[in-house]
Amino acid sequence: MLPLGCSRRLVAELRDALDTCAERQRQLEQSLRVSRRLLRAWEPAETPTPEPTPGPETNEEAPSPACTPSPQDLKELELLTQALQKAVHVRKGVSKAGERDKASSLKSGSIATSATTAAAPHGASPTKPPRGTRQATRPAKGLPKPRLLSAGDQTCAGRGPLAAKPGPGLRDPQIAPSAAPQAPEAFTLKEKGTLLQLPVAFRKAASQNSCLWAQLSSTQTSDSMDATTSSKTQFLQKMQVTSGWPSSRLSAAEVEAEVGRLQKACSLLRLRMEEELTRDPTDWMQEYRGLLTLEGLQAIVGQCLHRLRELQAEVVEQQLGPWPEERPPMASLPCGGGADPTWSPQLLLYSSTQELQTLAALRLRVDMLDQQIHLEKVLMAELLPLVSMQEPLGAPQLALCRAVHSLLCEGGQRFLTILRDEPAD
Amino acid sequence: MGRRRRRADLADAAGALPEAIAALSRSLPAGPSPEIFRRAKFDRPEAAPALWRLLFRVLSLLRADRASASRAPEAQARWVKAALRAQGYPRLGLARLPEDGSQGSRELLLALAWLLAREPLPERLLAQTRVRLGDEMPVCECGALASPGQPAPRVDAAGPVDVRHLQWLMGKLRFRWRNLMASQQEQCALLGKIHAYTRGCHGDRSLGHLSVAETELLRDPEGGRQVRAGACGGRDLFLSAKIAILPVCGGPLPPLGHPGAGMQTRSCCLVMGTPERPALWFALQLLQRLESENARLEAVLEWRRRELVFWQWMDTVLGACPPEASQPTFPPGLRGRGRRAGAWGPVAWELQALQEELQAAVGARRAAWAARVGGQGPEWSAARQAAQEAVGQELAALRQAWARGGGGGRAQPHGPHRLVRTEAGGPGGPGLRAAEVIGALRSREACLEETLRQLQEQCRQQLARLAGALPGLIWIPPPRR
Repeated sequence: MLPLGCSRRLVAELRDALDTCAERQRQLEQSLRVSRRLLRAWEPAETPTPEPTPGPETNEEAPSPACTPSPQDLKELELLTQALQKAVHVRKGVSKAGERDKASSLKSGSIATSATTAAAPHGASPTKPPRGTRQATRPAKGLPKPRLLSAGDQTCAGRGPLAAKPGPGLRDPQIAPSAAPQAPEAFTLKEKGTLLQLPVAFRKAASQNSCLWAQLSSTQTSDSMDATTSSKTQFLQKMQVTSGWPSSRLSAAEVEAEVGRLQKACSLLRLRMEEELTRDPTDWMQEYRGLLTLEGLQAIVGQCLHRLRELQAEVVEQQLGPWPEERPPMASLPCGGGADPTWSPQLLLYSSTQELQTLAALRLRVDMLDQQIHLEKVLMAELLPLVSMQEPLGAPQLALCRAVHSLLCEGGQRFLTILRDEPAD
Repeated sequence: MGRRRRRADLADAAGALPEAIAALSRSLPAGPSPEIFRRAKFDRPEAAPALWRLLFRVLSLLRADRASASRAPEAQARWVKAALRAQGYPRLGLARLPEDGSQGSRELLLALAWLLAREPLPERLLAQTRVRLGDEMPVCECGALASPGQPAPRVDAAGPVDVRHLQWLMGKLRFRWRNLMASQQEQCALLGKIHAYTRGCHGDRSLGHLSVAETELLRDPEGGRQVRAGACGGRDLFLSAKIAILPVCGGPLPPLGHPGAGMQTRSCCLVMGTPERPALWFALQLLQRLESENARLEAVLEWRRRELVFWQWMDTVLGACPPEASQPTFPPGLRGRGRRAGAWGPVAWELQALQEELQAAVGARRAAWAARVGGQGPEWSAARQAAQEAVGQELAALRQAWARGGGGGRAQPHGPHRLVRTEAGGPGGPGLRAAEVIGALRSREACLEETLRQLQEQCRQQLARLAGALPGLIWIPPPRR
């Protein structure tokens, strides 16, 4: 068993890593769900209760012979139909072209569900198709349709779930056999994706949005802000002068940022050093340069250490004073793009799915390596002292050595073998 | 004559100031009314709570700190003080304010003005919560998973574990990464398809196709069907949707400015939706969010036009405050509460280790060089000079790599970029090319792999040393791949 403190810290680190991974997976799965759904056939008339007889033909003249509806059901249906027709009239009066397809089909879908069975009130049926087609052709008259553009869809007016008009009697035969995905009229992105068009209001809002952002970035860079900038600087100076805290100190945020930079410096310097050490000089000139480089690196490291100690001293001093002890944890700063963030839309152009996949895979790999390096350092700090400090050669200690070796040197994937060298007697 | 003009100017200013403050309020989240600002100038106690809330909201957004969202007002006030101090806020008056929100509005107003003066605050906040219509992919490493400056993870009060538990956790982590990679590949394939299928649909020529968000908007503008498809308790929710639809028929259409039949089903979404189900509110949210962001953007632009008047007014506010007594400086030898000592550990340790290694390497090479350098001709000094300069330049370039501005400086792209599918071989419009990003990522990958390999090698050597100290055992390392 590992010592208590060590165990807790290591388990906490590993669990943290696992949690970040899980969170990312969760978000990815959410996006996957959305994307998969988009690529399937879009099903406007799908009902939650599975239809008992999913007949394959989408024949509108044949109402499926389910059980006859009760008079109460019929009356309900009539009321609903009337309400819907009124709604459609009102809506048509207000808007030129609407989401009739979806909304009405949603309603009809729900109505069909409440009727449960597919039997159409026969009296209503003959009157529905003409109305259906009439209403269907109306939107085709050059009115801007926020959804589907193709006139081809109008042929499906009487049939498909898409252009369905309020005619529950008409709809029912379709609902019954509607394993809607199989209906050839169902909308798939693959076939009809190029016909889509964004709704007008949305487009307006989006273009206004990008226009405003562009204006914002132009005002940022304009020079007419001189008076304002100088008054701001004056204000800050006055604040500093009238305050009780000496101004020469660095804020904690700046200190953290600098420590981060020193960390990065350390890894870059180490890489350079290793590169230099593994290089084999072929002539004296290269050897000399190698020597100079190493000396230069040494000097830089010395400077970094010195700076680090300065920062440490500064922070210790700053702790004193009436400020509260609680330090908010330094959340990793959201990427603001540095001091001069560009507010304009930034595009990343790719040309094939392969390229996109490579890009995403590399991103993940880089993140994974980052995490692995972090874990490696943590494990090294905790486990190496354990292994080096204990003397006895007992089996548990050897097992620990073996495990530590695999964790630290092989990423936990491979193990070494330890053999006891028994002298042959 | 001059006096009259000055009076007219003052009258102008008197009108301009409330408008400027109103614009500021509209541009900030949780912005208080201009009246609050006026009261704060006179240090009225009733203005304090609103300003505490505003500061808390602004600072927690800036630091992307969602954990602190639901704190009690006193805790929020403490947090605000600590956050301001971390940014370097100079005035001690803030630290001395009581945390119950009973007074100190003038001090809070000064703090807000200080934040506004240092950076373009409303723009930054808006940029963080910006509505993203496209499929975004980050191109920088700012949001890396395991950044070295991260706070230590929370430690559970569990018992000691065996090293096999650690091995198991590592294996689990590897497995999760593999899953993640597979899911990511699938998502990319799907994205590629969606982009390809919707080619030519977008009004904006430079984009050319729709994103997932926009396509989803088209598929399901009312969001009604999201219920059934996305939610776990789908059936029940759909049931309530049916019930909710009926009473709405025939009623007056709510004036939402959006044509179409989204209306009725819109209300039924409101009946059954919950904010925790993002898919449910998806389509509604998108348009509404765009519109509210537009409103805030307009407010920011107005603020920028008018803000000079605000700063002149803030000067007077600052003038009205009595100057603070300066804090006596503590002698540097005093061992203060060095709470941050924990964060220094890794960096200092690594730098020191590096220094020791370099010392050893340099010593060895110097000795070898001294032995080598015999009689060198006059061209030697010239060559030496050249070498020194070259190395000096190389090291200076190396320093730039971690200096302020990050690798490559400003030129490096930052932030999430919208993915746009273009024809291969075409010139394309403005924007980053995937090939460049891939190249940069590959070099970074190589760098990281090298670092990891070096760390593992270090461990191997150290363990080999230990193994050497234990006689009677044969250590057989696993076969190298």
